[in-house]
Amino acid sequence: MEHGLLRRSMATFGLAAALTLGGATLAAAQTTLRIFTGGQQRPDVMRQIVDVYMKNNPNVKVDVEVGGATSEQQQQYLNTVLASKDSALDLVLIDVIRPAQWSAAQWAEPLDTYLGAEKDAVMARYLPAYRAANIVGGKVIALPYFADAQFLYYRKDLLEKYGLQPPKTWDELKAAAQKIMAGENNPNLRGFETAGAPIEGTVCTYLVPMWGAGEDLTKDGKLNLAGDAAKKPFALWADLKAANVTPPNLAEIPTDRIRQNFQAGNLIFAMTWGYVWNRAQNDADSTVKGKVGVVPLPGFTADKQATCIGGWQVAVSAFSKNKAEAAKLARFLSSPDVSKMQAVLASHLPVFPAVYEDKDVLAANPWFAQALPVVQAARSRPVTPRYTEVSEIIRTNMNAFLAGTKAADAALADMNGRLGAIFR
Amino acid sequence: MSTIKHRLTPLERSERRLGFAMLAPAFLLLAAVVVYPIADLIRASFTFLHLAQPWMGNPFVGFDNYAKALGDERFLEAVWHTVLYVIVTVPGAVVVGLGLALLANKPFTIKWPVRLGLLLPWALPLVFSGLIFRWFFEYNQGIANAILRGLGFAPLNWLTDPTLAFLTICLAIIWKASSFVALVLLAGLQTIPKSYYEAAEVDGASAWQQFREITLPMLRPAIFVALIFRTITAIQTFDIPYAMTNGGPGNATETLAMYIHKTTVDFLDIGYGSALAVLMFIVSAVITSGYLRYTRRDPGRH
Amino acid sequence: MPRLGNRRTMIVLAGLIVAANGFFPALWILFTSFKTEAELMRVPITIWPAAPTFENYVRVFVDQPILRFLFNSVAVAVLSTLLCVSVSSLAAYALVRLRVPGAGVILSILLAIAMFPLISLMTPLFQVMRDLGLLNTWWALVFPHAVLSMPVCILVLISFFQDIPRDLENAAMIDGCTRLGALWHVVIPLTAPGVFTAAILAFVNSWDEFLLALTLSPRVASRTLPVGITLYQGEFSFPWPIISAALVVAIVPICIVIALFQERVVSGLTSGGMKG
Repeated sequence: MEHGLLRRSMATFGLAAALTLGGATLAAAQTTLRIFTGGQQRPDVMRQIVDVYMKNNPNVKVDVEVGGATSEQQQQYLNTVLASKDSALDLVLIDVIRPAQWSAAQWAEPLDTYLGAEKDAVMARYLPAYRAANIVGGKVIALPYFADAQFLYYRKDLLEKYGLQPPKTWDELKAAAQKIMAGENNPNLRGFETAGAPIEGTVCTYLVPMWGAGEDLTKDGKLNLAGDAAKKPFALWADLKAANVTPPNLAEIPTDRIRQNFQAGNLIFAMTWGYVWNRAQNDADSTVKGKVGVVPLPGFTADKQATCIGGWQVAVSAFSKNKAEAAKLARFLSSPDVSKMQAVLASHLPVFPAVYEDKDVLAANPWFAQALPVVQAARSRPVTPRYTEVSEIIRTNMNAFLAGTKAADAALADMNGRLGAIFR
Repeated sequence: MSTIKHRLTPLERSERRLGFAMLAPAFLLLAAVVVYPIADLIRASFTFLHLAQPWMGNPFVGFDNYAKALGDERFLEAVWHTVLYVIVTVPGAVVVGLGLALLANKPFTIKWPVRLGLLLPWALPLVFSGLIFRWFFEYNQGIANAILRGLGFAPLNWLTDPTLAFLTICLAIIWKASSFVALVLLAGLQTIPKSYYEAAEVDGASAWQQFREITLPMLRPAIFVALIFRTITAIQTFDIPYAMTNGGPGNATETLAMYIHKTTVDFLDIGYGSALAVLMFIVSAVITSGYLRYTRRDPGRH
Repeated sequence: MPRLGNRRTMIVLAGLIVAANGFFPALWILFTSFKTEAELMRVPITIWPAAPTFENYVRVFVDQPILRFLFNSVAVAVLSTLLCVSVSSLAAYALVRLRVPGAGVILSILLAIAMFPLISLMTPLFQVMRDLGLLNTWWALVFPHAVLSMPVCILVLISFFQDIPRDLENAAMIDGCTRLGALWHVVIPLTAPGVFTAAILAFVNSWDEFLLALTLSPRVASRTLPVGITLYQGEFSFPWPIISAALVVAIVPICIVIALFQERVVSGLTSGGMKG
């Protein structure tokens, strides 16, 4: 199957590789670039992509180094390498929450000079959220590689059966879930799940309802937890728990458990990332094939729907010895052609709006048509060099609240105190 | 360790030279691998060093980081949790390990399944041990709640109730660590001459008396080794709570090592993280030297 | 006779308890490795695989070069164990038998290094290995793993060496043995269970170790098993069936080898020592 896809991609992009191969023997100094990627960002697809690059640039050899599977394992390794100012890595794939930290730590080579006069034109082509996430203090810190976002997944079959429309507000979601749960009378069927364990995804569990109430964590760089909107997430999750729409163990739910439960047919609604669609649709053991729909996450009113963005960016290491060549490769990896190739081969969400409408991309991923408006409206988690601390404060409080060990007021007070010290 | 000074005979002098020569490889290895990292850690602990704030440089700040730690509620909570883990899992693992070692020391005709049973927990990488126990105690798919449901009880929130989460983590640690203890103690048991027991049997000693009068005293050095290492590793408890609860609910099960990990790897606050690491070292050193003193005073060698 | 029968039952029961304690999660992993992910999500849970599948084992070998990782892990573990046990035996013997001044202080220093949290030593350790040119080789792990296990090995060996009566060594030395000869021919064979325990501890410590392996030897050619197995994992997903299959492939053979080896070698060594 992998080979079939490869052949298809070769045909799709019409790679005239042979044409350039002839010149290779004359190539002078060979440059070797090493790019670091996590085990989960489809290194196999990355290898196919850099093969294309190497064929067109015979003087460049690209090694793909695959690091730990989770974002944390990768960061552990990268911290060590970069704190040692080691030149072993030329390019690094980084999570969308990292550019501010990388910029502050001076680990990423700003790409402005390499983009030159084209900078504004190049950046304008990306989805707005990715343009914003990768420009820190006016400098381009990284270039988007692929997009991701949280969606509201729903069971099309069940909503149709009860004559319901996909919810646009949290109230509609609660009502729909209760109606279906009562009608189905299946003890294993739950209304809704989102991440509640003390992990990164739980930050979105707090932020999405806050956005849905029309506010953000910060306002003009100042902490914005004083208003009612800051209390809304707590009230929402308490309400859904009391109504039995969410399970009693929400505080132990990590990201993938949501997919597993959804795929096993135990969930009506799920708030989770883009990878779930393909798994639910294509996995041999999925019980919900053809029954999956995606829409933007609800707001407290229909005009305030909002979603968390995710996704991965290519940064050039500040310690690379081949920055110019590395920046060239980064631009290639962040091009519409590569975005399309990833969409076809790996179902990665493109970072260019136009690619969502490409017919090959839609043929491989029909649901991208519904994904585009969600990704377009998606928002960034707070952009600050100390994001990891911000994240940790939000997720531990959220987790303690969901576990029932901390009251909403206490959690909010703790967040206020500790976040206040960061956003001064 | 006699303190009486006397003239060294030529034999003693040559033995001493040989002694130093035999210690040399160990110290060479240490010098090559860890001396610089430890020196660097101690230096960093007296400086401000935050990788996400490189413009602040790396100034010397004296004991600021240490003072900050003593006023850091999160740090003090982590120390308290770590102490609780030590108090529960060190005796727990030693008692369970002793039990396993005694059981495994029975004269089996086929030994390898028993040995394998001792080795498996030790050989299952720590990261995965934690994940497996997390799975056992999951609310819906866990075997613990499956048993409770089967018996007609309500399922429990094993991993999201602070007390239950602490206890399940302790259980996982004891399971994993007791196999190490059992291996050390089993080796100790094998060096006890069978004749001692035969003699005791002739004297009509009961099994319990034999255990108290022969096994336990003869095992003392091995139990001591197990205790000291179990304590050092318990102070460094990281992987199992990290995998099972990631410190949750909130930070109710967070250990000192987890907090240090967060400070250095996630927050990139190397200066403060280094000071926390040095404090952790001091805590372990105090406890360990207590053990060492106790055994050195103890003349109960045969 | 009934008493003997009773005793045998007790022994079998004892063995069963030890085996069950160790095998319980191992069997769980074994069963899981034959399940599909959907079966894992089923409520109520199943123990025995409902429809056994070998797909997970196929994936284990197709997705990652697991045999390469296995080979690397074994090589690193064996080399660091040999290094650690030989260095530790010499040091332990010197501390126990030879009149080294300040033995207590030396022992304390050796122990102290075991008390620093590894995580905080990572960056300088990386720099040391880089400057020695050892990154991404087995040696980047062999030396630190040997150091990690050295304190426990020295302690274990000290506690065993102390139990050997001096007379035995003196007799050997009168027979014309040197000190080192006495260590090799008398002390080591007599303390075989201790040496073997030290070796198993060093081996398994190295086998288990994740953080150093992730940071100092991350590339495929020298990647070890614990790091390799986590690569079956995704950012979000933790595919237990495949990971279980990988664990079965990786861990069960090693345990069987150690268990069999231990029995042979220990009994061989002890009986040899007694005869000599």
